[in-house]
Order: sequence, then C-alpha cells, then structure tokens
Amino acid sequence: MTAAREAIHLPVLLLTVTLLGGLRPGSAVVLAPPSLFALILAVLLVGVLVQSGAFVPLRVMNASRPALANVNGGVLVAALLVASAQMFSLLTPDAGLPRVLFSIYFLVLLINTMAASPDRVRVLRSLAVTFGAAFVLKFIVLDALSDPAGGRLTRLLQVLFEGVTLGAVTQDIQHPAAGYLAFVVIVMFLVAVALLPSAQRSASRAIIVREADVPEA
Amino acid sequence: MASRTMKSMNETVVRAAGLGITIVYAALIAWLFVRQPATFAEVTGGLSSAIGAYRVEQQAFEDGLRYFRNDQFSEARAAFERADPARRDALTQFYIGYAFYREGWGRFYSDDQLFRAGLETVNRAIALAPNGRLVVEEPGQEIRTADELKAELERGLKVEASDLDPTRVLRPRK
Repeated sequence: MTAAREAIHLPVLLLTVTLLGGLRPGSAVVLAPPSLFALILAVLLVGVLVQSGAFVPLRVMNASRPALANVNGGVLVAALLVASAQMFSLLTPDAGLPRVLFSIYFLVLLINTMAASPDRVRVLRSLAVTFGAAFVLKFIVLDALSDPAGGRLTRLLQVLFEGVTLGAVTQDIQHPAAGYLAFVVIVMFLVAVALLPSAQRSASRAIIVREADVPEA
Repeated sequence: MASRTMKSMNETVVRAAGLGITIVYAALIAWLFVRQPATFAEVTGGLSSAIGAYRVEQQAFEDGLRYFRNDQFSEARAAFERADPARRDALTQFYIGYAFYREGWGRFYSDDQLFRAGLETVNRAIALAPNGRLVVEEPGQEIRTADELKAELERGLKVEASDLDPTRVLRPRK
C-alpha cells in the first residue's frame, strides 16, 4: 500500500463517509452523530474485517515502522471505526419497531459472520449484501410505507401496518435526496473497505516469490 | 542511494501532509457536528468567526435598528438577519430577540410562538456574548441586557395566577 493511500486517500474517504453519513437533509439540515449502539456494531465490524484478513492493522502499525507512519496507521484505524459507526447509524431507522429490529439484525449478522470466520472476499460480499439490503428496507420499503402522499394501495397498507403494529412501523418522511446520499455513502464506504491493507495481497505476493524460486524441471 | 533517500523524504512529506489534512478535516467535521449549522452561511460565518474575521453588515444593521425603533418588527428582523446571516453576532441576535418580544407582547396576552422564538434567539445571543454578559447602552431603551430580555420572555411564557390580575393590563411594554 502506498503512503499516499494510507495517509491521505483512505482517511479522507472514511472521514467523508462520517460527514455525509451523518447528514440528514431536510428543511433544516441536521448532522446526526452515531449512536452508542452503532459504535458497538462498528467495533464488531472492525473485528470481522481483521479476523477475515480484509484489514490487517499490523500492516499500518508495527514496531518496525517510523513513528509518523504509525500515527498515520492509528488515524486510519480511528477513521475506519468512526465511519463504520456512522454507516450503521445511517442504515438504522430513526425510531419505532424498525429501529429495534434493524439493530438486532446487524448485531446477529455480525456475530454470525465472526463465528463463520469467512475470508476477505466473502466478508466484502457479505458486507455489500447486508448494507444493500438495509438500504432497500430503510430508504425504499419503509419510506414507501410512511409516505402519506402514496396511492390507495399504499394508504391501505399503511392503515393495515398502523393497526397491526400500533403505529410502531411508520417513520418520519425523509427528504428525497436522503436515499441518493445514503447510496453514495454506502458505495464510498465499501470502496474504502476494499482498499484497506489486507492479508490477501501479501499472501499472493509470497506465492509468486515461491513460484519464481522453483527450478525448472 | 540518493534516490532512496529522496524517496524516503518524499514519503515523509506525503505522510506529514496526510496527517495534517486528516487532522484539519476531522476537526472541521467535529465542529460541524457540535455547532449544527443549518445553512451554508452559518458554516462560512462560523469558520470566519473562529479566526476572528466575521463582521456584520453595518448598513443592514442600521436599517434593522431604524425599523425596530419604528415598531416595524418583521422588517427589523429581516434586516438583522441580513446583517448577521451566520447568527454569530451577539448584539444583532439580541435585537432580533427584542423584536420578537415587542411584536409578541400584548396587553391581555402574549404570543407564545413569537416569545419562544425570541427566547431561542436571546439564548443564542447570551451564548455568543463574552462570558454570557451582554449590555446594550441605548438611550430610551427599557431592556438593556440580554438577561433582562430573557427574564421578560420567560415570564411571558409562564402561566401563573398573576396572569388573572386585572391591573396587569396597565403594565407597560418594555
């Protein structure tokens, strides 16, 4: 990994995720910090990334590196943690039953992924699917169910859900730009995670060296 | 050897620059989350006031004062908002709060909505004033401190037994 990627590109990308992930567009723009539970989920996610080899902290922080490089590595780890927390905060509905269900969904999924201990590629795929599914549920399905300006079928479904769940499903109406913004943030986060210093690259390099060393028969 | 030293120096420069950029960017994000600016003007005003470069637009402020003295409170607030778009000047915020008070004040009852807006504004003025103390020495003006204005607004929002006192209608507007 180049110094520029470690010291500039990745931290800036992750901090941008933190900023845009907290942005709630509306009549008054609000910047929402991540919740405490989102921080816990973020720690679990970083744990999953480390376990799978998608992120190797030793490649950015170890005793053989200069102090400045280690500080860069520390900043990268901190930025990853905060951006992860902001991602969970962004994808969790703001209130009601969906908030509880989404929180449990993320927690169980992360613990399950840890128990399965998949490799880097599988974790990245799983993360894309998890975040994608949460995005669809929050910004498309829940939004449609909460939209008072919807058609007859939507209103009928709303009444049904309101009655069954005692009004615990519907959410505050979001600004039309919120979904687009969330999509961009998810893509940025997944790109940043894919660019993290991983175990796979060093391993593949080691294999190439070994192959070169084998004498021809 | 020389190229290796050059490469190492370049890497150090990149790392130092990256650290600087990241710290500044993170500080900006933290500031945005703490301050919660609602408009772009508030962002730029907040940043310029952080380095002491923020100034209210004097002409708009004078217009606001003139409207305020003529009891044209909506016009006064519009002019004051124009003078201090970032809401960073304690004096301007005080006058916006004062305009809310005067417009909302009534002999029989006060307008709670305007009083609430006034209270929010005067609280902002107090937060912006050095040590929270704001004194406005203006001849002919009854309320001269932000604390007095805040107390008047809070009194107007409270429902008390004294509200039923008939002599209350004789009290003057400050």
